[in-house]
Amino acid sequence: MFSELNSILNTSPENCPQGEFTLVSDRKADASFLIHHFLSFYLRAGCKVCFLGLVQSFSHYSAVSQRLGVSLTQAREKGQLVFLEGLKGALGVLLEEEPSPGTHMLGFLRSPRSDLRELFEFVRASSTVLLSLGVRVGAVVDFAHYCRAFVCSKLQGNMVMLIRGEDEEEEECDEEGAEWLLRALTHQCSLALRVQGLPTGYCRDIHGQMEVFWRGHGSSVTGPQTQQKLFQYKVHDKGVSFFARGTSSAVL
Amino acid sequence: MLLDIMQTNEVGGLVIIQDTVDCCGRQLLKGFIHCALKRDEVVHVLGFEVCENEFRGGLDSKFTQGLYFHDGYTDPLGWTECPPLTVHHFTPQDINTCLSQSEQLKTVTLVVDSLSWILRHHSPAIVCQRLQELRRGGALRSVLLLLHSDMHQQGIVGSLCHLATAVILVAPGMSGQHTVAKTTRRTKSGRVTREEECFSVSEDLTITIEAQSSCSGKTLPEPEEYEADPAANLTFNLRLSEVEREAKEKLSLPFVFSQEKKSALLHPRPGAGRILYEPDDNDDFDQEDPDDDLDV
Repeated sequence: MFSELNSILNTSPENCPQGEFTLVSDRKADASFLIHHFLSFYLRAGCKVCFLGLVQSFSHYSAVSQRLGVSLTQAREKGQLVFLEGLKGALGVLLEEEPSPGTHMLGFLRSPRSDLRELFEFVRASSTVLLSLGVRVGAVVDFAHYCRAFVCSKLQGNMVMLIRGEDEEEEECDEEGAEWLLRALTHQCSLALRVQGLPTGYCRDIHGQMEVFWRGHGSSVTGPQTQQKLFQYKVHDKGVSFFARGTSSAVL
Repeated sequence: MLLDIMQTNEVGGLVIIQDTVDCCGRQLLKGFIHCALKRDEVVHVLGFEVCENEFRGGLDSKFTQGLYFHDGYTDPLGWTECPPLTVHHFTPQDINTCLSQSEQLKTVTLVVDSLSWILRHHSPAIVCQRLQELRRGGALRSVLLLLHSDMHQQGIVGSLCHLATAVILVAPGMSGQHTVAKTTRRTKSGRVTREEECFSVSEDLTITIEAQSSCSGKTLPEPEEYEADPAANLTFNLRLSEVEREAKEKLSLPFVFSQEKKSALLHPRPGAGRILYEPDDNDDFDQEDPDDDLDV
């Protein structure tokens, strides 16, 4: 959990927002540090978390969270965290091994034209979903919508989703591309965090920039225009520092 | 023009609000609904994108008895046992069943939030066809659609806009809270008017126009009528008279080498300058490289 990010988003573990759908996206950069932030944030806040890890294994997330001061193993034993190892399960499904419990919902990997219906059945079981999605499927939008309808609206929980953009921005409106998925999900979400590499290239002191969009969903009535802020960030060993553009400590 | 469209609920009207990721059009949509409810009309909403509470949020509860929300949000694809409304219910019959929940005598407006959901699961031709059927069916006075235009191909958005009597494109304004609405309106006679307006939506969903941009109220000019002559007010002549042309042709230009001019230059005339060169002792004149002595 990064306190700097909390102050940007105006949240704290004591004052946890409700019914939010946060969309984290990255392009030419790695936004997984934000996933680690949200995971530890919701665990600290005492929420029940269901984590669908499709990119990394449990031990990876566990090791990172340990550094951030949260023990995933303990949380799992307490029943606060349900971790679905998408990575391990996917392999089993693809190799058609003996189905272990929990892998049946990953059956979508085998049939290319499926909806993510079975995943949805699983997600219904818990209140706060932290979702890291690395798989690109056309039905992700439908899946996200169902998650949102169930988690955000019915249970007043929160949902976080990571999607990875293509390296180059596509011009065409391709119905299956990652860009299209990003746009469709941005229409759904209430808060969008877009992480990008610096347009000028790699830099030792600034790892990238993060755009924050508040889309004014929820019960509050705001103007039709989305609010937007831009920060640059640097990932440290045990945290991240955010600063306004051009105010890196290495520059000043 | 935005307020005009909102206030006159034209019979058989089809209004499309187009938005993009950068600017959400739902507030404007709600503004339209609020306005219709205040006129004591019945509004049926097919809601696919936000839940009922969120949709009703902000709308004045004094008027909301005329608002019927058909919940397509919780289960739009029918994954659970008894879905209230799915995208597959987007047929005139099913919509008419929805509409029959309200009193028959009042004017009815159908709102779809958003058409993008339906377009993702139906072919565009079918969507266009059903929209036309709905308009001709007579149960509705007008239809109001929200469309995320950046989620569809340009052609699909274009063909839907051909059906519409008014298309409102919202885009973020230059500064602050304002939003720019580019409105294109098509009257029955076929006249097309365009206008660009800056508007803002207040807490109670009233819409105020902040500024109007220059092209207000003008119809698109006929191309023949407005073909301005670029050579109208020139400070010089573009054409020559016969006399001028002759004079021009007589004149020999300085770079033209006539026979006379050549001979005049080649045969030295008396009084013309001549160059004499006598090399001195140190000169080492090289025929091959005349610039040898230059320090380069």
